[in-house]
Amino acid sequence: MGSSVNIEIREVPRSDGVVILHFIGDLISDSVKQINECISGVIAKSKNYAIVDLSESNTISSAALGEFMGCRKRLVEKGGDLVFTGLKLEMRTKLNLMGATKIFRIHSDIRTAINAYKWDIERQPEKIHVSFPPFLKVVPPLRQLVSRIARQKGYGNRDSFRIETIVDEICNNAVEHGKSGPDEMIDLIVIIDPDKIEIDVRNMSDPEKIESLTAQLLPENSKHHKSKPDVKRGRGLTLIKMLSDELSVECTEQGTSVRVKKVREE
Amino acid sequence: MAKTDDTGNTKRGYTSRGITFPYSVNVSFPGHLEYIPAIRKFIAELLQVSNFNSKFAYRSEIIVDEICNNAVTYGCRNENSTIELSNTIFEDRIEFDIQDQGGTREDLKRLKRAINTKIEETPETTRQGGLGLEIVRTLSERLDVVIDEKNLTSVHVVRKREDERDESEAST
Repeated sequence: MGSSVNIEIREVPRSDGVVILHFIGDLISDSVKQINECISGVIAKSKNYAIVDLSESNTISSAALGEFMGCRKRLVEKGGDLVFTGLKLEMRTKLNLMGATKIFRIHSDIRTAINAYKWDIERQPEKIHVSFPPFLKVVPPLRQLVSRIARQKGYGNRDSFRIETIVDEICNNAVEHGKSGPDEMIDLIVIIDPDKIEIDVRNMSDPEKIESLTAQLLPENSKHHKSKPDVKRGRGLTLIKMLSDELSVECTEQGTSVRVKKVREE
Repeated sequence: MAKTDDTGNTKRGYTSRGITFPYSVNVSFPGHLEYIPAIRKFIAELLQVSNFNSKFAYRSEIIVDEICNNAVTYGCRNENSTIELSNTIFEDRIEFDIQDQGGTREDLKRLKRAINTKIEETPETTRQGGLGLEIVRTLSERLDVVIDEKNLTSVHVVRKREDERDESEAST
């Protein structure tokens, strides 16, 4: 049998379940057995996520693609996946025409594929930290930033909009109740994973405004708005409570920290 | 939810504050390409609320895109790397500082080649690398790239308002 492909197998440090399979040469029907044996070896080593690097392959036959589909199914059953990376434009177009892009995930490079593994399989959280001055005008771009990141990470429109509202409310509160001046930075820390998003806003407390803020935090005052519909201010925290799954506020003379957890719904 | 005015800013009655220049906004994000579109849009919107016109904001967005792409592509050796982008906004300019966590020797070699090569000196066939920094150079007043002894790269870019029209557009 004239096999025309070489397979280099590489493991990824700190990612036990991942293996990189670098195929060198064209994937023709003769390669089917080799692909099958290679994936069987991967599964035998308790790996469940195969990154198939095709940067040095120019052709993929329908038989080889079919074999990859079978292998992917075996890996998916083990809670993993088989993804492609390093595809040349011509091959990518061909896979698209064959409808294979609806089945396989294709990543631009190996690192992106590893990131996808960490996100999808390991469900590793990612952190974004923004520090900004206490200006109300900065809040709309900020809330859009967090909402766009949520959408990019696969959260639905409804979740993203609710996250945007939460960020808007807590950042506005931090500006309003914190110290003013361009050097009194507010920290917005967002920790996002596939299941939830955690938002933490920290600011320096303004001693003159701290009383009004702590008064708002009292449980009897959060009920106050329901009984008095004419009250127009102080509804932010009540709204955050309604939109989120957990809310905690720490208010000291040094600073205020508002932590919100929102579980992904869609 | 808080009501917003025409520019999308939250109306909070008497507590509404303007912007005092200069001010800084610092962003730290994972070294993944997928974050860059959101980051560059954020900077563009930040400039628009700081009275820069949309042309200035859009061109600055291109700079952010290029420097962030370079930092992620050449400065993130592992998947846990982060990028630090610091933006200082003055009345007449914006200054960007971006720091990555250091790339491989090969990445740095490519980066150094890109810094030292002018676009007209680059043959058509080898223009894959270095085009980004050339675009940044074209759109900015100043571009400094520093690679320290630990191979950490920091890029400093200054972009000024272009002309008087730019300022008058911004004020309207």
